[in-house]
Amino acid sequence: MTKNARLAEATQYLHDHALEGVIAFSNGLNNFLEANAIYVFSGVRPVGESAVVLDRDGRSTLIVTPAWDAERAAALSTTDHTIGADDLADALKSAAGKHRLTGKRTASVGLSLLGQALAGRIVAALGGPPQPADDLARDLARVRTADELAAAERANWIAERGYERLLEYARPGLREFELAAELYCFMKQLGAEDNFLLLSASQHNLAVRAAGERILDVGDIILSEITPCYRGQFVQICRTTTIGEPSPAVCKNYAILQDAMAEGLAAARAGARVADVTRGMNAVFGKSGYADYCRPPYMRVRGHGLGITSDRPGDIIDRNERVLESGMMFVMHPNQYLPDSGYLMCGESVEVTPTGARALSVRPAQLDVIAA
Amino acid sequence: MRTMQPCVTIGSYTWAQDRLPNDEFSLRLDELRRAMVQHGWRGVLAYGDVREHAALAYLSNFIPRVRWGMALLPRDGDARLLCAMSTRDLPAMRTLTWIADVRSGMGPEWDKAFDPWFERFAGEPPVQFGTLGFDLMAPVLHDAVRRSLGERLVLQRADDVVAVPPQRKRPRELTLLRAACKLVQDATQVFADNWRQKSGEPETAALAAERTARSRAAQDVRTLVSLDGGRTLLPFQGRFEKKAGPLVGYLAVKLMGYWADLFVTVDEGEPSPARRRVEAALDTLIAAMRPGLRAGELHAKALAALAPWSLHPALSQSVGHGIGLSLNEAPELRAGADAALVEDGVYTVQLGVADGVAGNVLLSTIVRTRASGAEVLARSPRISLP
Repeated sequence: MTKNARLAEATQYLHDHALEGVIAFSNGLNNFLEANAIYVFSGVRPVGESAVVLDRDGRSTLIVTPAWDAERAAALSTTDHTIGADDLADALKSAAGKHRLTGKRTASVGLSLLGQALAGRIVAALGGPPQPADDLARDLARVRTADELAAAERANWIAERGYERLLEYARPGLREFELAAELYCFMKQLGAEDNFLLLSASQHNLAVRAAGERILDVGDIILSEITPCYRGQFVQICRTTTIGEPSPAVCKNYAILQDAMAEGLAAARAGARVADVTRGMNAVFGKSGYADYCRPPYMRVRGHGLGITSDRPGDIIDRNERVLESGMMFVMHPNQYLPDSGYLMCGESVEVTPTGARALSVRPAQLDVIAA
Repeated sequence: MRTMQPCVTIGSYTWAQDRLPNDEFSLRLDELRRAMVQHGWRGVLAYGDVREHAALAYLSNFIPRVRWGMALLPRDGDARLLCAMSTRDLPAMRTLTWIADVRSGMGPEWDKAFDPWFERFAGEPPVQFGTLGFDLMAPVLHDAVRRSLGERLVLQRADDVVAVPPQRKRPRELTLLRAACKLVQDATQVFADNWRQKSGEPETAALAAERTARSRAAQDVRTLVSLDGGRTLLPFQGRFEKKAGPLVGYLAVKLMGYWADLFVTVDEGEPSPARRRVEAALDTLIAAMRPGLRAGELHAKALAALAPWSLHPALSQSVGHGIGLSLNEAPELRAGADAALVEDGVYTVQLGVADGVAGNVLLSTIVRTRASGAEVLARSPRISLP
């Protein structure tokens, strides 16, 4: 399946639901936790607010802002036409007219992500609010294509190289932001177009956060959530690194996280429910006497989907009854606060297969030590 | 300039109390409270997101690194800050602002954090609150605000009534802007030198500049480069290919909350006719910039100085704008714009030409306007013109 195939599927959706067309929007943010409908339908990562107009005849137009970005967008886009504009509402009004769309029988994806002022102008330009179909793009793109999977593999390769760089570069005396800067630029040099890079250290972490001014020192436990994006595919690896030898409690608890990861990998096969996978991972902590810690603020989720194509299957939590499908991707991370070690991280991007989840990393997460 | 928004800003964020002490925010709030009295508001709700947060940052020092934040600022009483972060992230968020009461506004926390703050107004007739930045708010969040407030409060859009942040920079803001300008100046020099002396690759040169800025505590860095000799600009492509000149690119850095940006153009040999014309036009505009000059007048002077060539399409018919806590502050320096430059205003002035014969060039300067004359805070690396 290609991105054009997704446009074809969306066209079929319009016929199935007796709609004139669909307009997908992006606010120009590229949230690593969410689907970006513009990317799904056009293959373009937008700079500013943008829209894809698709009618029931299968004709499509991409509108990007600012206008000067039109040439880049046109070269990349899988839509029939590409327009550059400095005012999205004005350009959309014109495009909707050409596609013979009216507000009433038109669906929208992501209109609710725009600022309310712009969203209001768009609704006025369309003559009324379109019907929200906000899950359309993430549902159509829920299974990665071969190209997307290859891009994700490359992104994970970049992430692993980034972590190797951390092991080389981190040392006492370095500030967190200096380490983050080095990793960010290092991975960008390898092709990462974006990076949700959280990196922080403490002798007793409560959670991971964005890098700050803290100076690294012996005894610190460095947490890193390395999340490069390559050709629209975010991946994530979660790692724990100590400066100097870790305490016995840290070693003991990290083994629990690794066991939970192994349990999750085995359980996350095609056909399994996310809730069951989560419960299986939580049970590992329960067996070690930490069942009460399997809730916020000691942890958040056991993993989550990865943008910007599709964030399916969603959060890996025990309330998510979604059934996993082969070719879905998400990050599995039994990251956990435990009282005698603080927060520890162990996570891999995985692909769902019929026999379980396949971690993309060559070297699975382990507790690494930087010599003091 | 619009640039690709990163999914998170990774740089060095903290409340630098030595640079922006508590009394600085007291003075900023005093100004806002005067506006509250004048307009009959019992408070102001200041909203910002990861992309645009100038008003929120000016009043609270809080800069959302992902999602959004909102300061609840009463005319009397204690402020509260809501951020779209989970409860476990709040200890880190509390280090970013002078506001002691920081709460999560995500999911079920909304009802615990937003609604109760307004209980102090219970029993009063509907009271009026001003809003800042609400145009940017996603409709779903705006609906939640409306639902929570019900009939208790009337919201009035304050953005057009009070300028937050003001166009005139405060002394401490000017100090921070100078630091940001120094950083962008140095990093832009690295941009030019890397391309000219080392790589010959525009994207490698831009990344070298980015690395320089990030290693010196930049909170955010944005780059654009041209891979066609300056005719068009592109966000990061990851190609790292050698390209013949001229090198044309753009760099923006944010340091301690304040942005500075510069274009860079490096010719391969002798300066192009377009380069000479744009350098001279920048000199003309710097000499003309005074408090009271209308933005539209400055735009007209720019076009006259560039004639017969027209403005580079990448500039979107603008020759610049204010700069500070936002990369794109008012006023926009556009044709016919009526806003006047002010004393201690800081503006990025951007000029360029795209011409197949005369050459492609984009250059800029950051200027502080004073009655005694413009102070140049940063300027695109200059080359010696014979």
